[in-house]
Amino acid sequence: MSEFFTETIVISILAAMVRIGAPLILAAIGELIAERAGVINLGVEGMMLMGCFLGFFVTFETGSILAGIGAAMVGAMLMSLIMAFMAITLRLEQFVTGLALNLLASGLTLFWFRSLLKTIGSTQPNIDLLEKAPIPFLSDIPYLGIIVFSHNWLVYLAILSVPICSFFLYKTKYGLELRCLGENPRAIDMKGLSVAKRQYLAVLFGGMMAGLAGAFISVGSSIRFVPEMTAGRGWLAIVIVIAGNWQPKWILVAALVFAFLEAFQMHVQAVGINFPYQILLALPYVVAVIALMHRRARSRAPASLGVAYSRGS
Amino acid sequence: MNWAKIRLERRDEVTWAWRLFCFLVAILGTLLVTGVLISTAGKEPIEAFKELFIGAFFGIDSIVETLVRATPLILTGLAAVVAFRAKIWSIGQEGQLVLGAIAAYWASIVFEGLPRIIVLSGVICLGFVGGALLGVFCGWLKARYRVDEIISTVMFNYAIFYLLTYLLSGPWQPPGDFYVQSAPVIEKALLPNLLQDTRLHGGLFIAIVVAIIVYILIKRTALGYEIRAFGSNPIASSFKGIKPTRMLVVVMLISGGIAGLAGTSELLGVHGRLNTDIAAGAGYTGIIVALIGGLTPLGTVIAAVLFGAMVNGGFMMQVVTGVPKSMVFAMQAITLLFFLCSTLMSQYRIKRVTEDV
Repeated sequence: MSEFFTETIVISILAAMVRIGAPLILAAIGELIAERAGVINLGVEGMMLMGCFLGFFVTFETGSILAGIGAAMVGAMLMSLIMAFMAITLRLEQFVTGLALNLLASGLTLFWFRSLLKTIGSTQPNIDLLEKAPIPFLSDIPYLGIIVFSHNWLVYLAILSVPICSFFLYKTKYGLELRCLGENPRAIDMKGLSVAKRQYLAVLFGGMMAGLAGAFISVGSSIRFVPEMTAGRGWLAIVIVIAGNWQPKWILVAALVFAFLEAFQMHVQAVGINFPYQILLALPYVVAVIALMHRRARSRAPASLGVAYSRGS
Repeated sequence: MNWAKIRLERRDEVTWAWRLFCFLVAILGTLLVTGVLISTAGKEPIEAFKELFIGAFFGIDSIVETLVRATPLILTGLAAVVAFRAKIWSIGQEGQLVLGAIAAYWASIVFEGLPRIIVLSGVICLGFVGGALLGVFCGWLKARYRVDEIISTVMFNYAIFYLLTYLLSGPWQPPGDFYVQSAPVIEKALLPNLLQDTRLHGGLFIAIVVAIIVYILIKRTALGYEIRAFGSNPIASSFKGIKPTRMLVVVMLISGGIAGLAGTSELLGVHGRLNTDIAAGAGYTGIIVALIGGLTPLGTVIAAVLFGAMVNGGFMMQVVTGVPKSMVFAMQAITLLFFLCSTLMSQYRIKRVTEDV
């Protein structure tokens, strides 16, 4: 009996880990592409929050989850367009712009939440969740079926994004150009290729992925929107890129480690073990700092990360 | 084919009239964008701005309240000034503020039996130490393990907030109390009022004193010179014998301590007990304030008062026009974005690139 109970719990934690890991993977892969192009986008948190709100709001208004997810991606991309313009065209300090975008999203989503989503009586506005889509046959595999193949399609997309990103970076011409951008943008420029265009596209892609990640947090896992719902996951995505040493496969591992911590925390709370859950909630952030203390972790950092390219100097 | 069709050229000299023009353009842009956003919620922007202004500046009560709102922003802004001058990108003011408040509250419990003057100075000192400890820790992580200070400070902002909620729903929650808050701070530890029958408290005095100290520190002392040298070129300054490790620790100690004082002043001057609204974003807003204030103490104080006015006016705006006061936070971020662009614009002239290079 107790053995069965333990087994159920372990499977449940691991399944939750994959589900919680999905938005982290999506946002981190997006950030990886932007950073490989040499732009450090610290506005991920804000872009995720914007995606999170728009995903919920548009789904609530139109009844279509797809419309919600689309709106989340477009909204976050618009924010990343500001990021790209300030960082690439105007060459302003990238960290300040990212920070401003986070504050903008934080204020704006709260403002829209309060003014557009009126609570009717005592009921909060809520939506139907994105449905689970277990993959035929694969979901029947013992253990693995429940842990990996019984989620909604956004989770599969997140997992697939890792090999796709890896293929793009290491096996295609555009991937090579992108990696070169972060290391030595002058080389790209000398070849007569546009540095700015490629960086814009990379940052916009990062924004789109952050929006998708945000949408996952609302329509993919909750029937309600709560202000500040992303709760630092965008920042964790940035940590994951560093801890994953700017390589897709290690980013996947790092994302799952953080997701495991959160899944574990949820189950401790649910099972009712008498331990202050706030300490467990703080754990991912403390682990993040410890993860960054390893010197070896930074060996693959793009050489001109965060440095705006200027032809003159 | 050239993707970016505009090129910026540095101006030889920047006249103050041009600078003022750029600044006005930034304000206009902010109002325009904010106005559009307000109308997305089906509200009247002009009406909202009018109430915001009235709520912030009309009548002695409004002005006092604006100063109360500005007090934490002055301190967190100054904390950012000290760090940013050394080009240490600490955005941990929010967490340092909270840890300062936690330390101050703890001190108020420990020093309970002592005379008032000792209690008050002890509490303020520990508030400084609380914030400073967190700052120094992040500085040390950067110096010893090269952990990026932006990331580490943000991570601790979240971690410290969970520590606060733990304390307030466990050890420091009064028995039988339902709310997530501590018992009131003992009377002796509260900051004195500066103006009778208003909320104006001693925290403003602390903030002004700190602003003066920071001014002297940066402009007149050897340490201030080292901070500026380190900020402009850490490699060159290391040849002058300025050790990066020492700079990181010292700067983060001062910066964190000042942010801790912001928490102390909010705890002992405004809230009177520890709750989860103790920071209310003041740490992050302080960064905007510092940047708009041009990283100078005087500019920061002025910007903090203006931003305090926005927050205060936001209440009037919400009550009269129904525009949620959270709009103010979005407006502050938009102000920063436009301000960054206008600062750049004031230094450069924009030229269209016609030839394809």
